[in-house]
Amino acid sequence: MKPAAFAYLAPSSVEEAVDRLAEHGPDARVLAGGQSLVRLMNTRLATPSVVVDVNRIPDLDHIGADNGTVHVGAIARQRSCELAPLVRSRVPLFAEACSQVAHVSVRKRGTVVGSVAFADPCAELPAALLALDGQVVARSRAGERVIDADDFFVGPFENSLAPDEFAVELRIPVTAVERTGSAFVEVSRRHGDLPMCGASTVVQLDEDGAVANARIALCGVGQRPMRARDTEDLLLGQRPADELLAQAAELTAAATDPIGDCHASAAFRRHLARVLTRRSLQTAVARARKEDTDA
Amino acid sequence: MSTVEHEATTDVGPGSSGRRWIGTNVPRKEDPKLLTGRAGYIGDLTVPGMLHAAVLRSPHAHARIRAVDTSAARALPGVVAVLTGEEALHHVNPMTSFCAEPVPQHAIAVDRVRYPGEAVAAVAATDRYIAEDACALIEVDYEVLPPLVDPVEAMDPGAVKVHETLDSNVVFHRSIDFGEVEADFTRADHVIRRRARWHRMGAQPIETAGAICSYDPFTHDMTVWSNTNFYNFLPWSFAGMLGVANNRLRMIPCPVGGSFGSKHLINKVISIAGSLTKAAGCPVKFLEDRLDNIAANDNVGCDRSYDAELAVSDQGEFLSLRMKIVDDYGAYFQFAHGQHGNALAQPTGPYRIGSVGYDLSAVLTNKVQQGFFRGAGADPGNFILERLVDAAAEELGIDRVELRRRNFIQPDRFPFTVPTGNVYDSGNYEPVLDRALELAGLESWQAEKERMRQQGRYLGIGLATCQERTGYSASEWWILYDKPPLPATSTPESVKLDVDATGNVRVAIGCPLWGNSPETVVSQVVAEEFGIDPAAVSVGYADSTSGALSAGPGGSRVTIMLSGAARGAAGTIRAKMQRIAAHAMEIDVADVECVDGTFQAKGVPSTAMSMADVAMRAHLFMHDNPAGEASGLVETFTYDHPFSSPPTADRKDMGAFYPMVSHACHIPIVEVDPETGAVTVLKYYVVNDSGTLVNPALVEGQVVGGIVQGIGAALMEEYIYDADGALGTPSFREYLLPSMHEAPEVIVEHRETPSPFTEYGVKGVGEGGRLVAPTAIASAIDDALKPLGVWIDELPMTPERVVEAVASAADRMVTG
Ligand SMILES: Cc1cc2nc3c(=O)[nH]c(=O)nc-3n(C[C@H](O)[C@H](O)[C@H](O)COP(=O)(O)OP(=O)(O)OC[C@H]3O[C@@H](n4cnc5c(N)ncnc54)[C@H](O)[C@@H]3O)c2cc1C
Repeated sequence: MKPAAFAYLAPSSVEEAVDRLAEHGPDARVLAGGQSLVRLMNTRLATPSVVVDVNRIPDLDHIGADNGTVHVGAIARQRSCELAPLVRSRVPLFAEACSQVAHVSVRKRGTVVGSVAFADPCAELPAALLALDGQVVARSRAGERVIDADDFFVGPFENSLAPDEFAVELRIPVTAVERTGSAFVEVSRRHGDLPMCGASTVVQLDEDGAVANARIALCGVGQRPMRARDTEDLLLGQRPADELLAQAAELTAAATDPIGDCHASAAFRRHLARVLTRRSLQTAVARARKEDTDA
Repeated sequence: MSTVEHEATTDVGPGSSGRRWIGTNVPRKEDPKLLTGRAGYIGDLTVPGMLHAAVLRSPHAHARIRAVDTSAARALPGVVAVLTGEEALHHVNPMTSFCAEPVPQHAIAVDRVRYPGEAVAAVAATDRYIAEDACALIEVDYEVLPPLVDPVEAMDPGAVKVHETLDSNVVFHRSIDFGEVEADFTRADHVIRRRARWHRMGAQPIETAGAICSYDPFTHDMTVWSNTNFYNFLPWSFAGMLGVANNRLRMIPCPVGGSFGSKHLINKVISIAGSLTKAAGCPVKFLEDRLDNIAANDNVGCDRSYDAELAVSDQGEFLSLRMKIVDDYGAYFQFAHGQHGNALAQPTGPYRIGSVGYDLSAVLTNKVQQGFFRGAGADPGNFILERLVDAAAEELGIDRVELRRRNFIQPDRFPFTVPTGNVYDSGNYEPVLDRALELAGLESWQAEKERMRQQGRYLGIGLATCQERTGYSASEWWILYDKPPLPATSTPESVKLDVDATGNVRVAIGCPLWGNSPETVVSQVVAEEFGIDPAAVSVGYADSTSGALSAGPGGSRVTIMLSGAARGAAGTIRAKMQRIAAHAMEIDVADVECVDGTFQAKGVPSTAMSMADVAMRAHLFMHDNPAGEASGLVETFTYDHPFSSPPTADRKDMGAFYPMVSHACHIPIVEVDPETGAVTVLKYYVVNDSGTLVNPALVEGQVVGGIVQGIGAALMEEYIYDADGALGTPSFREYLLPSMHEAPEVIVEHRETPSPFTEYGVKGVGEGGRLVAPTAIASAIDDALKPLGVWIDELPMTPERVVEAVASAADRMVTG
């Protein structure tokens, strides 16, 4: 388990990083927290000839907010995001998703942007970003491009960045506070494993208690994180009674196209999609109604 | 926390009353070096001029090797030697195998690969990076053959054969009735029938198998540093494989970073390093990486399907047990059917069952081979038996606790011979069960279960009462053969003990440090025998040139056997010191006693001579010593199996081959989520009886560690091969081990029923936790999901299997 030979570059600015990426094109890979890339290199599933370590670029670890948007820099760690009061209060779903990624030791190295860029179809953060209508800001020599989450995730471990592009930050719209609840629930084989399936939900109720806005995204149920738009439409304007939530769960499960593996078959993942959609909706609604005491 | 409750028992052996060190929590001697990274594992070791090896492995489950082109690899700077299987045969012989059938095995495949991950070529280079680069440059031309994945399909006479040298993939079949099986079934009022499936799991030690081999082409000496076990047991078998004379082979042990039974031989690793050192002319280290070890270790566990029946009377008396077993051995048969010898040591558990029918088909497929892994065949044996007992309880409407009580072997029946001929030395099972029920506080868990049911949650209380056969005799390996290739009967253990001229004790032990605590145990025994401080005893490891014959750790034997060897050696030297002291005091030797590390006239402390006084005389003053007494104080003592007998020719009586039998009752508490299949072990209670405890803290460590491994077996560990034969679990991302997050609080208590056969009454305990936990957890899941009609007959119970079990129970309820 030794990597193939590679050149190691450690640029000290974003400009320099994008220059290096432009020079080496598809032979180069960005190294962020290394929690996925180093494993792939050690098992020679990835053999980049150039590794561009972005960890020494100053000011890329920011977690901030302005005008209703939370910004997360390229080397902000998953653990920092999970604990940041700003994230917890303004996009609680994202903090909750972060808390379910791996183990603390991995989260202290692994970056939020790295997880999103890695585009593992089972990973929590891509699904959470999708549910939150987040965006990825990409930089190259040509300049900056803002990509909607829905356009960012292309397939398993495939994103829409060009080889010379570097994701510098995520932008996540702040979640409403009034009568709004969110929940990220998942099932993994063991504590800290990638989930077999996860469901992230944001629900806003109107004054009568009917659903004013619902956003649902799942991981582990297809080639990429899945936004359950039909389910969202179904819920709109309805009172979230048990029967409706069961119907929503059914509809979501039917929309999945899971890939089976040694941890869970496609059929089991679809089953979990049903169970977890219902549970995440129940929790989100309870939180929106302030019934959930540990929210 | 563990507490010890003493049985009122007869004392065994001299000096057993009022023991000072045996039975106390002497701090573990091995800990400081292990905890501070000073153990000196094979991975830490460097020999001048040493090269590093890497292995190219087959991506196919089954293929003919048409050609291997190593030219590009050889041309890579830094590469010193490259060997294909064919080329390696110029340097080494095929690997040792214990089976009678013609199943030859090479460390690097010749002509054909038979499982995914089998070695195809090996490289020695100046570092491991270059060695792996070189592997990537080797081109192999494969003719892919149909893979055999399903053992039942492999049994078909028309199936492709894994080995052309065999008539069938059923490499071994035997059916034996021990006792009057037919008659017992005929007179039974009830026959409980169950099928069960125990999937393939592996030991997965943190440290992989590794060796450094260094060959001198002029003297033909071979030196091997490794983490194998059998260097003082079967060194000649390694010599034969390495193509050197046994008197030119020196095998030096390294501390082992986990084995769980998986490193008895590690022939592949030693053969690969050995062939490369011969080819390269310099020392070569081959240390498996994780992918190597998972795919190609020597010792994955059992892979069994059971069709089993228990004959029971109306009163719930167990009459007979009958099993039909298909066991998927993988591609080779290196250790023959040993895992069934093991199961047959205790097929009837702690119960009086009059007869046993055993029908075994061992089948070869395109998977990595089976070998010994903690439990070693008795693990699924306990699973099927306890499942049958629970099924009988359910079908007869007798409480599961009561049914066990009715069938327990009573304490006045020991030594007890089971239908297969093995002997249980001693036991007292009801007090273990009673205490376990009390310890678990069953009533309050029962109430909690009711409360949770109201909330739609499912709590389960497991129960298992199982045996742990310990201290094997070598007949275990060949017991089912009519014509065994090597019908060995010895499993010795030795130490060399010397008291130097200044009175200090040093012990060199024949077995390796395998993650257990041989230094602590030996120190306690020697301290006990001389009345000195265990901290003052120096313990080291004897290499293969020492003559300290040792079968080493395995079959939960090493503490039993080391206690015997250390006590024997200490007793011999103490007697000699007594004679020298008596001579010096001019009194009869019978009047001299050894007290607190001194020799004195009985009851007269003023006459005391220190260990140093006596030792200096022994070493340097021959004319002051009794005539004929040789100078020095050194003894190599070999302790043989204390109670074994060979099998009869018809094998209907296997003799006593695993007679020190420990017992435990496990009560796990679990919560099951029937919708997601998640099983959470909330709490775990154990009462364990493994005879006299040498060191309760160490026993607790063994039990708890075994239970955590048992949680892995119950819930997650499994080798998965796809339909095309590819290994679906090549790394720890797919092959899941329990972590600290899956380990519950484990509460352990001990009772002590000493063995009448061993020194101090010690029994083994190394496998106990894993022998009981899987079946205990199965019963807990079962108990939780009983309202849904679920019956657990397969391990591990992954989330998907739990959900499937719930769904199929619901279907049964609808249709039935
Ligand atoms: C034991 C363990 C358990 C884990 N469990 C989980 C889990 O439960 N859930 C989960 O989601 N993940 C899990 N992971 C993966 C972990 O979350 C990784 O940290 C994450 O997938 C990648 O983030 P990173 O910063 O480590 O990226 P790296 O490993 O450095 O990079 C990953 C990939 O993204 C690319 N990349 C990184 N940053 C950028 C960027 N700014 N622009 C463009 N490309 C970029 C890299 O080139 C590389 O291809 C686990 C990892 C481990 C070791």
